[in-house]
Amino acid sequence: MKGLGSEKMMGESKPKPEKAKLMIDARGVTHEYSRRDAEGNVMGIIQAVDGVDLQVTPGEFVAVLGANGSGKSTLAKHINALLVPTEGTLYVDGKDTGNQENVLAIRQLAGMVFQNPDNQIVSNVVEEDVGFGPENIGVPSEKILERVEESLKSVGMYEYRKQSPNRLSGGQKQRVAIAGIMAMHPRCIVLDEATSMLDPSGRKNVLDTVRKLNREEGITVVLITHYMEEAVEADRIFVMRQGKVALSGTPREVFGKPEILEACRVELPDITKIGLGLRRAGLDIPKVVLTEEELLSCVTGSGAFPEKA
Amino acid sequence: MIRDITIGQYYSVDSTIHRLDPRVKILGTLAYMISLFTFRDFAGYAVAVLFFALVLALSKVPFSYAARGLKPIFILMAFTAFLNLFWTDGTVFFRVGALAVTWEGLYKMIYISLRLILLVLGSSLMTLTTTPNQLTDGLERIFGPLKVFRVPVHEMAMMMSIALRFIPILIEETNRIMKAQTARGADFESGNLLQRLRNMLPLLIPLFVSAIRRATDLALAMDARCYHGGAGRTKMYPLRYRVNDFVAYGCLVAYIVILRAVVWVCPW
Ligand SMILES: Nc1ncnc2c1ncn2[C@@H]1O[C@H](COP(=O)(O)OP(=O)(O)OP(=O)(O)O)[C@@H](O)[C@H]1O
Ligand SMILES: [Mg+2]
Repeated sequence: MKGLGSEKMMGESKPKPEKAKLMIDARGVTHEYSRRDAEGNVMGIIQAVDGVDLQVTPGEFVAVLGANGSGKSTLAKHINALLVPTEGTLYVDGKDTGNQENVLAIRQLAGMVFQNPDNQIVSNVVEEDVGFGPENIGVPSEKILERVEESLKSVGMYEYRKQSPNRLSGGQKQRVAIAGIMAMHPRCIVLDEATSMLDPSGRKNVLDTVRKLNREEGITVVLITHYMEEAVEADRIFVMRQGKVALSGTPREVFGKPEILEACRVELPDITKIGLGLRRAGLDIPKVVLTEEELLSCVTGSGAFPEKA
Repeated sequence: MIRDITIGQYYSVDSTIHRLDPRVKILGTLAYMISLFTFRDFAGYAVAVLFFALVLALSKVPFSYAARGLKPIFILMAFTAFLNLFWTDGTVFFRVGALAVTWEGLYKMIYISLRLILLVLGSSLMTLTTTPNQLTDGLERIFGPLKVFRVPVHEMAMMMSIALRFIPILIEETNRIMKAQTARGADFESGNLLQRLRNMLPLLIPLFVSAIRRATDLALAMDARCYHGGAGRTKMYPLRYRVNDFVAYGCLVAYIVILRAVVWVCPW
């Protein structure tokens, strides 16, 4: 009965304090798609996500890996309440996504960047597109201007604010999309293969931007990717296989289990592969090498190669 | 070459016209277009052309840019000009075989072409100086009162703005598919009309599939960004009339008055 005003966003979900500590809390989340024939009769059911438990703390940077069709996108759409679990529950910052009243609050809290840069930009002018989200949630006009400026600056696209998105490169478009989400003051960003249509430099730009937001503004990041090099820098990795989380842990733990990864049809990062190869060739190198520097220091340190002067 | 369509393309530059309230530009363009149908005298066209030139100069949009909008309607123009030239009754002054050119026909051809050109130039100038978002805002406000009659004004405005945003993307896609299909031996250039239409299928089907795909993606992205219709929505740049806008309305009235006066006074 007390604190009525401050709790109105919580909806009716019983606010347990330990829940609120987690940014994302998935409990046995299952999602079934039913395949229908031409007459609309159910032909079969696909369990795209199957009993996933997944906890992400605020400020964490997690990567989600998995082969095509393993259910990554389906899971991601749950975090933004674009899909609701057919079984199980998912809480975002303590709010149940299954509760219709929470949907807008959750979408504001957890933004989503999609794969195709063109298909998620609504407006013909960069700054108007960034303002689209705040407009939707009813932010007053002057505040929208402030937010747009601030978020365009944070992704380094401020000087393009008056331009048409059509003239930007793919990487720049994705950064505009990220700015559009940042302008809603989210606490979490989900990137669903957001870099897969970009060239290497665009990919690096987008990823640097995301990392910066994670480090400097404490934004929780869920990065879905097919690029192992991007996953290496995550705090934690989840590997999905046929709708289930097959493996999770720090990059070092996950990439230390090549057999399981192979079963999930997920490759090792190039550097790790090189490391393994050298190890098999008899060099004294640890089983999991994640970065170039690490590999270099192992190689030079082991005395296999004389250090360059 | 299809990329040249400028309708719906914003020309980004800062000018007096760009800064006007979109409602002024929409209503102004509408009034201008209607005014073009109220006379047939060349003196009237002189006033209309002059007015357009003035606005164009103020808008800082290069003429060559605005004129690009004419290319796609060139065939239509040539066709109407041709029809009017040869199929108007009156005093014959020139004969080509069975076809007779009359003075009246010549006159009609010229003023109808001028009218078409000014119509296209006028509306292109509006879209060149107004961002699609402003355009939709303007339309939404102008037609806002219709919401009382349950006309989905906001939804229609949103649909229009999205259509404008995707025109250049779909055009680029058309070019790409065309090239891809040409490389596979498709032929878009030869054959009679029916054959050509049939040959268009390998172009149209992938284009439709892709457009639907894009629409689904965009709908999802809009949902993800809390879009839930017009209710409770604020605007980054809410429309507010300023002094300049009233001045512009004044200019518009002045134009119409001068036009009527000139048409009334001059006999040609
Ligand atoms: N709208 C839908 N209707 C029916 N089935 C679907 C739908 N979306 C996805 N699926 C199915 O659900 C499963 C998981 O798909 P999902 O898109 O989540 O995979 P993913 O891991 O994101 O794959 P990718 O790496 O290709 O993006 C697949 O078998 C897919 O065919
Ligand atoms: Mg996917």
